[in-house]
Amino acid sequence: MIGEIIESRTAEFVAEAVRYDQVPAYGSFVRVSDGELRVYGIVSGAYTGSLDGMSKAKAFFKSIHELKMEQPQIFELLRTEFSCVVVGYAQDGRYHPYYPPIHLSLHLPVEKADDDEVLLISQHLGFLEKTLNSPAGNGEELTAAAIRMAARFHPDPREYIVRVGRELLKMLNYDTQRLKAILERVDIA
Amino acid sequence: MKGTILRGSLSGGLEVRLDIGENIEEVKVGTFCVVEGRTHDFFSMVVDEDIEAANPKAFYETLSDNSLLNEVVRGTGIIDKVKIQPMIAIRREDNKVQPVKSIPSYLSRVREAREEDVFKIFGRPDRTHFHVGSPLDMDHIPVCIDLKKFIERSNGIFGKSGTGKTFYTRIMLCGMIKSGLCNVLVFDMHSEYGWEGEDEDETRKKAKGLKQLFGSKVAIFTLDPESSRNRGVHPDFVVEIPYRSIEAEDIVMVREELNLNPTALEVIYVLQKHLGQDWLITFLNMDALAIEEFAENTGAHAGALQALQRKLFRLQKLPFIKENPADDAVERIMQYLDSGMNVVLEFGHQRSMLAYMLVANILTRRIHELYVKRSERALGGTQGNNTPLVIVIEEAHKFLSPELSRQTIFGMIAREMRKYNVTLLVVDQRPSGIDPEVLSQLGTKIVALLTEEKDIESVLCGVNNARMLRNVLASLDTKQQAIIMGHAVPMPVVIKTRTYDDTFYKEITKDEDGAFRRSPMVGIKQTSGTSSFANNSDMDEPPPGKEFEDLMKELYGL
Repeated sequence: MIGEIIESRTAEFVAEAVRYDQVPAYGSFVRVSDGELRVYGIVSGAYTGSLDGMSKAKAFFKSIHELKMEQPQIFELLRTEFSCVVVGYAQDGRYHPYYPPIHLSLHLPVEKADDDEVLLISQHLGFLEKTLNSPAGNGEELTAAAIRMAARFHPDPREYIVRVGRELLKMLNYDTQRLKAILERVDIA
Repeated sequence: MKGTILRGSLSGGLEVRLDIGENIEEVKVGTFCVVEGRTHDFFSMVVDEDIEAANPKAFYETLSDNSLLNEVVRGTGIIDKVKIQPMIAIRREDNKVQPVKSIPSYLSRVREAREEDVFKIFGRPDRTHFHVGSPLDMDHIPVCIDLKKFIERSNGIFGKSGTGKTFYTRIMLCGMIKSGLCNVLVFDMHSEYGWEGEDEDETRKKAKGLKQLFGSKVAIFTLDPESSRNRGVHPDFVVEIPYRSIEAEDIVMVREELNLNPTALEVIYVLQKHLGQDWLITFLNMDALAIEEFAENTGAHAGALQALQRKLFRLQKLPFIKENPADDAVERIMQYLDSGMNVVLEFGHQRSMLAYMLVANILTRRIHELYVKRSERALGGTQGNNTPLVIVIEEAHKFLSPELSRQTIFGMIAREMRKYNVTLLVVDQRPSGIDPEVLSQLGTKIVALLTEEKDIESVLCGVNNARMLRNVLASLDTKQQAIIMGHAVPMPVVIKTRTYDDTFYKEITKDEDGAFRRSPMVGIKQTSGTSSFANNSDMDEPPPGKEFEDLMKELYGL
């Protein structure tokens, strides 16, 4: 488990990280099991702040190491949230690349998706549309991150990226400028 | 080539989007392809190619420094597009061949044609389907011309000089002679069809002529026995033409060569009217006094007569025109043709346009008369040999120019003689010089590379979808590539013509049973005498049999 859901909408959910300094990577794939459904999401942002959400952290101008030695209690007052866009769900062993019929319940545990799950989800290029239109407004960045993450699990990453790129170009209404902006962020060797 | 139909129209052709990964550089204009529609297969030809961007902005991005982006955009944002023209449709249900009256539906798959497609359209090689070449990039697949249809009408072989017109003509002649569907008479200006011709190919150098390939089926006549002897050819007959065979019309035909003005032409008719059949020799033998006397009697202008005589003296320099030749060549040629042989008339050194046109016109006029009579008799029920005749003329624009084609016998043959079983095979490098009316009457055209705009225009005259074929025509290779269109092929097709080499010789000379055999002539009863003659390969002269007697009757009215 890497987190627990604290906010849920049809299109996205927010989870609190188990530890303030352990967050899933931006653009990585996560899984939430809700009864029979396994809902998948892509990490679309993270935030670390004070525990109560009201007061602000204060600057100490010391290294993290020094702080941990001198002021260990301040770290106990921090919490980290991360948000995820919902990309699809699996039911009865079948993956559906669209929103689940009901949004996720609160307090469900969030886990990292397994490698083969990522492979399966990313085969369906429908996730691109969700990342591209991410509510946070950082669609291109998120899409690039998701492609980076997913490509690693494919036997031929370059071929996968080309396939994704072709799909993206259509979604972008054949705007090569925007496609270029995205693909430049997928700096796979 | 693989792709899908993107858009298009019946009038403007179809646009095909090439599949990702297909290389447009490998798709050549003129390629024969098939569109698999929902219920029909559309047989089409690639006529144009271009590159299109879904969003034109894409053209102006610098994609070249990013290979990944380059790969993504190619085939998606910027697509390779091929324009094709459907030529013929086949309903899959019953394999019925139809003209194209609809277009394939959107996203129909397009692929290159396969062997069975070519056979479906052009037929398999057999006696009447002659293998002339293969579609572009499909070297092993034969494309056939339907010879029966081919000889039904006059045909043309066109191409710039050096594109292999002579070879296409040779190949077609071989096909026609082998099939036995018709007889051919070749006016062989450069003496290259009869015994042997030049081959530009380094390894072969010489191209076998018809006599070498078909032996006794072909007779070589010559106008210049010395030249024939020098080339090691043994002509079957030396042609000499009597003055009395030359008529006013023949002189009109060569008026440019003789530099005659319209007045001179009128004088010729006066001469013929008053002097009768021997007008030419009588006129040439007249002295100044006789001319004046003649002028007084007929009201012609003496000066004009004298000028004409001076010009006509040129005819005396032609060695084959004799006052009293030993044998009448025209009749001899007719005998040969009538007995089912094919005749090549070599001109040797007499290759001036004057000699060529004069001889061709005189002979053809007589042949024309004979065939008209023959056909009428055939219609009337009195059967005779009525095998079609194909006359091959080179430099055809000289005979069929707009000014002359209405008056000369060739123009008449091209326009209407198919009814009388005589057709032309015109070989020319300047089709634009030929009367458009004649061009449009040509059944089948075999066209090699043409670059001159006017020539392209004129060969495409009377052809469907001419606009589309223009690109194809201009992009043919200079050698061994031609487009065949018209009556004898169901759809225009670009072919790589067969190589005229040993393999071809072997194939063309072998019959089903390995020996020469004359196939029965179409539509007529054949007397046993004729076929036994044709089978006898040692015989050079037609034997005086029943047919011969018929012929004598025909010629002399005995």
